Amino acid sequence: MTRISKAFAASGESTTNTDVTPVDRRENRGPLISRDSVWFALSEVETRSASASGQASRPRIGATLVRGDTGCGACRSALMAPVQTHEGGSVTRKTTWSAFSAIALVLSATAPVAAQDEILTSLAPVPTYVEEAQAAGLDHTYDGAWEFFVGGGAAILDCNGDRRPDLFLAGGKNPAQLFRNDSPTGGALKFTAVATGLGDREADKILGAYPLDFNNDDVIDLAILRLGENLLLEGKGDCSFTVANRALGFDGGREWTTAFSATFEPGLEYPTLAFGNYVDRSAPGSPWGTCHDNFLFRPEKTAEGGVSYPEPSRLSPGYCTLSILFTDWNRSGEAALRISNDRHYYRGGEEQLWAVPPGRPPRPYRKSDGWQHLKIWGMGIASVDLDVDGFPEYALTSMGDTKLQKLDVEADETVPVYQDIAFDLGVTAHRPYKGEDLKPSTGWHSEFQDVNNDGLWDLFIAKGNVEAMPDFAAYDPDNLLIGQWGGTFTEAGGPAGIGLDRRGRGAGLADFNSDGLLDLVVVNRAAPVSLFRNVGRGTEAAPKPLGNFLAIDVRQPGQPNSRAVGAKISVKTGNHTRVKDIQIGAGHASGQMGFLHFGLGVAERANVRIKWPDGDWSHTYRVFANSHVIIERGAEKAKLWYPE
Amino acid sequence: MIRPIGLSASGLALMLLLPQAVLADSDLPPWSERALTEDVDLDALAASEEDPIAVLQPLGEKLFKAKFTTLDGAGRPDATGAIVPTKVRRKSHLAFQRLAGMDANACASCHNEPVTGGAGAFTANVFVSEGFESADFDTIDPQFSNERNTNAIQGAGLIELLAREMTADLRSQRQAVLTKARASGQPETVALETKGVAFGTLTAGPDGTLDVSGIEGIDDDLTLRPFSQKGVFTSLRQFTVNAMNDHHGMQASERFGADWTGSDDFDGDGHTDELSPGQISALVAWQATLAAPTRKQDLPDIWQTAAKEGETLFGEIGCASCHIPALPLESLTFQDPGPFDTAGTLRQSDVGMPLSYDLGTLDWVKALPRDAEGRVLVPLFGDLKRHKIADAKNDTFGNELLAQRFVARDVFITAELWGIGSTAPYGHRGDLTTLDEVILAHGGEAAGSRKAYAALGENERQSIIAFLRSLEIAE
Repeated sequence: MTRISKAFAASGESTTNTDVTPVDRRENRGPLISRDSVWFALSEVETRSASASGQASRPRIGATLVRGDTGCGACRSALMAPVQTHEGGSVTRKTTWSAFSAIALVLSATAPVAAQDEILTSLAPVPTYVEEAQAAGLDHTYDGAWEFFVGGGAAILDCNGDRRPDLFLAGGKNPAQLFRNDSPTGGALKFTAVATGLGDREADKILGAYPLDFNNDDVIDLAILRLGENLLLEGKGDCSFTVANRALGFDGGREWTTAFSATFEPGLEYPTLAFGNYVDRSAPGSPWGTCHDNFLFRPEKTAEGGVSYPEPSRLSPGYCTLSILFTDWNRSGEAALRISNDRHYYRGGEEQLWAVPPGRPPRPYRKSDGWQHLKIWGMGIASVDLDVDGFPEYALTSMGDTKLQKLDVEADETVPVYQDIAFDLGVTAHRPYKGEDLKPSTGWHSEFQDVNNDGLWDLFIAKGNVEAMPDFAAYDPDNLLIGQWGGTFTEAGGPAGIGLDRRGRGAGLADFNSDGLLDLVVVNRAAPVSLFRNVGRGTEAAPKPLGNFLAIDVRQPGQPNSRAVGAKISVKTGNHTRVKDIQIGAGHASGQMGFLHFGLGVAERANVRIKWPDGDWSHTYRVFANSHVIIERGAEKAKLWYPE
Repeated sequence: MIRPIGLSASGLALMLLLPQAVLADSDLPPWSERALTEDVDLDALAASEEDPIAVLQPLGEKLFKAKFTTLDGAGRPDATGAIVPTKVRRKSHLAFQRLAGMDANACASCHNEPVTGGAGAFTANVFVSEGFESADFDTIDPQFSNERNTNAIQGAGLIELLAREMTADLRSQRQAVLTKARASGQPETVALETKGVAFGTLTAGPDGTLDVSGIEGIDDDLTLRPFSQKGVFTSLRQFTVNAMNDHHGMQASERFGADWTGSDDFDGDGHTDELSPGQISALVAWQATLAAPTRKQDLPDIWQTAAKEGETLFGEIGCASCHIPALPLESLTFQDPGPFDTAGTLRQSDVGMPLSYDLGTLDWVKALPRDAEGRVLVPLFGDLKRHKIADAKNDTFGNELLAQRFVARDVFITAELWGIGSTAPYGHRGDLTTLDEVILAHGGEAAGSRKAYAALGENERQSIIAFLRSLEIAE
């Protein structure tokens, strides 16, 4: 990674040394840190002395600080220069030198600055995103009063069985809309609004949506989060839906619902549904300290062999939840429910983890269980097992810095003790990376994906002021943190072209035009939805691929849970393994179901194994890069899929 | 076009002698031990009027023969020989090592029989390992590597062109059956076949899914990979990038550079971006234009008669069903980068415009026969298809323990027999000293032909040997 230290630059010496020095080799010790070696590795990544957990102690890192502390246009130019060098496809040391020079010139006239302030530029390729919502026919705005300051979700699902990802977008006070994906393969994105089948009242006041198959008919359904009655929509396979609440005995309630997750518990044929609720507006003293309980619906099998969801279990106390996720945090095979809560409204609350033992009532992990008190403005969870140790990491967006939690190296598998490694890996994303506003960011949806297909996870974070909160940045562009070979992340939202002046909320990354590059949809508050086409290393007119990719769809034909929720996909190239769980939940009011995307870097082939939801491992499927692969449980070979 | 800076008078003189796109390092003394002294600006060359062959071929030959030194970046102390950039688990104390490598410092040190670019003797065998687990093996135990004899490269340009056309053809058939299934609303099956070679069947579903379980002799992605004994390299370029790292520790930036590894000195030898795309292109061009093997001329009558009879018998007993005498080639235009490489080997999308050169301008290509449609008949004696070549009764060719890149241990691509008269010893391990031995070693799908050969009389078998011995790499 090319690092530009302000102190180094300010000293006025050796600013051209990078001209002859090989690129920092500290970044090349293998794919990622292992659980056992995390602190050893991290100590090499950075030498900054801030503690790993104190959020208040780290307002001053990253690229924005250089600009912010100096407050000058010349520094901004310097900042942009090294980033632009990667658009040509290689590291151009000359430009790096110019960045050095520019900063040195500027800083020579400024006050002494902290040694740890640096500019980081991504050595990993940065994709170019082209915003084309209007041209694509995606005309939609999420808006509304206070209740819709939160929410704004996007569900990415295949609603008509053509295996292409379609879009359901929450509208708040505006009607939710369903858009069929008509994008030509490899071409510009194209969506067509289609009727949802919802009545006017039902399509109103929707905050978010998550796809799932709740009735095991292998057609994707939707869980709709509303201000008021939540809806379970049964998909018909032709992009039409019918409300199934009555058929399922499901009481959608009257709450202000802002989060959802689902899992298939061991021994149950149908999914268990969890709804996260926000403020109880009817309680005395609302909104302060009046958070609503969350609900857990376990399936009951009907006499006809169907499913019903009669009575929920209350997950009490609720702390104004904005994101939840069933996750096997300790590789026990049993998903627990991680809940991220908004401290703005709760009193005495915290982040939560609920054990959901099969057949038994859920119970929260407490201090005596090792759970540590953490208060954040929890907005969105993103989870992936960065170091492939079987214990997922969790990114938690908030106001201010994003957390990245890793199971403590000292903890055993029964004690959920987490360390925050966000600072060390460079994902705090606590402040806008461009613009003049030095106030803290407000993070919402987050998602780990591989946007440049280099085989390393990247992290997207939707950003945006709640409405007009004066203490937080008004211009707050979305983040695209590009994973580096040393395990760190580097901000590239600006050069990638996603840093619009909009208030992002929900979002999703999916390959809408089946070209192997993940595109991006962002639902903005009180502004048009953003739709970014990933054109890789190319341009709008001439996209160019980045690394190799693999898209994998996993099925259990003829079985309950045909979409294999709870399965783990392991993709190995050489000695490098990445894993991803098939989950429903997390993010900010936004979920997706369909092909899972893996970057393969320069690998031409990969070995894929599936850990099925019941814990059985598949044999190894040998697949070639740059293909869409369908793995059906028990099949000897993977099927391939080709878009039209 | 980029120019080297600080040209000395001698350097300027050198530049004037060089084609426009070739960049020479003018600061080196004439006794320099560096092998890499010139580079090529691919974009400038592609945009120029110059014939790429004329520009690249001399440099490619020089690089193929060059003995790379540590001054060039030879050696890979931190990297294995793997096709995917992979760090060593522990460094070897040996810079050279004949097993895990690096095992040579010149291409020509192995590819040299009977001429540069040719095959290698048993002494030039290499030990092929994926380079991931146990990448630092120091034993010939076959559980760690497959021992392979050095292949001849003569005619490789035509082989790659054939493979490209066959890949395009098969993919076109794939697209057609997908379209048909979508239109009919029911599964449809196509028998894959190109240039007379069958590659099994492919069944498409109306939803765009493909059942690839009926595919034979080629990878599921329908990319025909014609190079190596196993048939696992798509292009000369991919093969070259891999070989330069594996054998010489010379890492091409297009795969081992900062984009894909986070470092421009992935092998940790202090040299950044050791091989440029232009230098790889030069190596590709030289190999691609290397004259194809021919038949011995001026044979004595007795040999000529025997060879003619042997060639007929070769067909009659079934050998020619896989060792097809010639495959037709539509176009002689060689593009570099090629159309089917993936990330890690320079792709057409990575350059402004690919180099394009006409192999038809080469005298040895002009001399090749053409069919009635004007297609060049490439006399490779092969089908560019993989076959199972060992069985329980005859497992000589099943002597490897390791599958390679998804290809089973007893499956190999049909060896092209052109030039076989110049490339003894035989077999993928180079451990069979006579043609009779290597024919009798065939099992698996070739068992019938082997039996037919074994059933021939001595004179008939000798005639087949006479025929094969007439296929030579001209010196």
